[in-house]
Amino acid sequence: MLSPTDAAGSLWKLLEQSGHPFTREFGAVRPADSHVGAGSVETHGTTVIAVKFKDGVIAVGDRRATANFAVMYDKADKVLAIDDTTLLAISGSFARAMDVVKYLRTSFKLFERTYLQPMSLEGKLTELARVVKAGIPDALQGIGGFIPILATFDRESNEGRIFFYDGMGARFESTEFGAAGSGSMQIRGVFDYIVKTVKPFHQMTRDEALTQALLLLDIAADLDAATGGWAKIMPLARTITVNGIEEVPEETLKTIIEQLDRSISR
Amino acid sequence: MYTPFDINEAIGHRKDFVEAGLRSGSPVVGIQCDEGMLLVTIRRSQRKVYEIYDRQMFSAIGRQSDIENVRLSAIQTAHQEGFERSPDDVSLHRLVGFALSPALKKAFGDQMYVPVVIRALFAELGRTPSGDCFFALNYDGEYRQYTGVAAIAGSQRAEDKMLEALGQPEQKLSRDEAIRRALKGWVAGARDQISIASDDERDLDSPLRMVDEVDADRVFLEDELKFGALEVGFLQRRDKQDARFHLLNGDVLDKVISDLY
Repeated sequence: MLSPTDAAGSLWKLLEQSGHPFTREFGAVRPADSHVGAGSVETHGTTVIAVKFKDGVIAVGDRRATANFAVMYDKADKVLAIDDTTLLAISGSFARAMDVVKYLRTSFKLFERTYLQPMSLEGKLTELARVVKAGIPDALQGIGGFIPILATFDRESNEGRIFFYDGMGARFESTEFGAAGSGSMQIRGVFDYIVKTVKPFHQMTRDEALTQALLLLDIAADLDAATGGWAKIMPLARTITVNGIEEVPEETLKTIIEQLDRSISR
Repeated sequence: MYTPFDINEAIGHRKDFVEAGLRSGSPVVGIQCDEGMLLVTIRRSQRKVYEIYDRQMFSAIGRQSDIENVRLSAIQTAHQEGFERSPDDVSLHRLVGFALSPALKKAFGDQMYVPVVIRALFAELGRTPSGDCFFALNYDGEYRQYTGVAAIAGSQRAEDKMLEALGQPEQKLSRDEAIRRALKGWVAGARDQISIASDDERDLDSPLRMVDEVDADRVFLEDELKFGALEVGFLQRRDKQDARFHLLNGDVLDKVISDLY
């Protein structure tokens, strides 16, 4: 009890030592050896989008969570603050994503309180890669697959940054935008179209970027049966800038959506 | 074979050993104020006040490596509990009473190990001011709960003097007023410890030798601040974010000290 140094500062090692299931290793043997068809019991978050703007990053998500063809929940919060400088937009398995969010929040704090300095951006990205990777055995059986987008404000380079991951835990940095979830593939080309024909996201004001992000969400909702869009329930948008994380007020979203509604030809 | 006499004697020796290590530690004052809670001390070299969890902080006197071990154990236990259950389940009562105290008691009683030299003061910010509490944890696992004000020092007598100087707790104190009151408590404890150590603090080296008793506290504090630094941990209430711990910076503290006497 009073010789804690072998796991100091690492929540992962702590949980491993206590046998917590969160840290089961890649390739671990599972009771079920084939696809368990868990789609019907597992709730999934659908589309999330992160785009840069000139002061930082804005992340937007619709509020829908589905299980197969059922809408399980239409007030889901899929853009979550991990700490003062990190936003995580989540898609895929809701159960796993919530565990991961809790893990990261605790892990970053544990590190900072132990070592009296915040975890570096690189360290945080590695922690996230580790937990994505740890989910592979589950994902191969059709449950627990989850893909995050991490948005942060880098105080050293004084800019917003966006990182996205694949299912294996590989990490990529995006110069302009990131999207994940069921509707993200359908809208991938639209991001490029906006960058090439309107202007790069990082040169936009917050409201310009927000308008584009909401438009993208609307297209995703049109093309993906699982994505909720904003017809019924207001999406959720959070920004991250040098001042930290802020939620975009619902009134602002409403105003932009009304403008969009008037200008979009259906 | 051990007889009851041997056990008594052995424990007595261990107690003497630990108490000797604690005697010159810089006291720590815990005090509640309207904005939250404070742990106030004057440190010489190492940092002394640390965040443990969302609503808990800690400071201690003793051997540096022992303080570090207890600090890390507290942090680990709190974070593991917070992850596996909920941050709401992390409390000082559980942390001190069920994790740290039994471990310290075991370490103190085990003749195979060098005893842990520590006296620690924990603070926990409640959901409301009436839930705020302090826990003083001793090297032998004994602990005491305080509300409003708390103190740890190198000796029981110094602690008593500090509590006497701190007076009745007042929830309505402003943060800066509370720091000033805490410093007066700190001076009472530190002066008492020095008088025990040297038997006469008015020796030739003492800055107090030419001073009237009324000015003595001020001169003593000024002298201490020449070689040490005031350190104040602040657990803030009414903060939107989870992390409510701040280590107050020098500018804020300079202003507080300048208005002290």
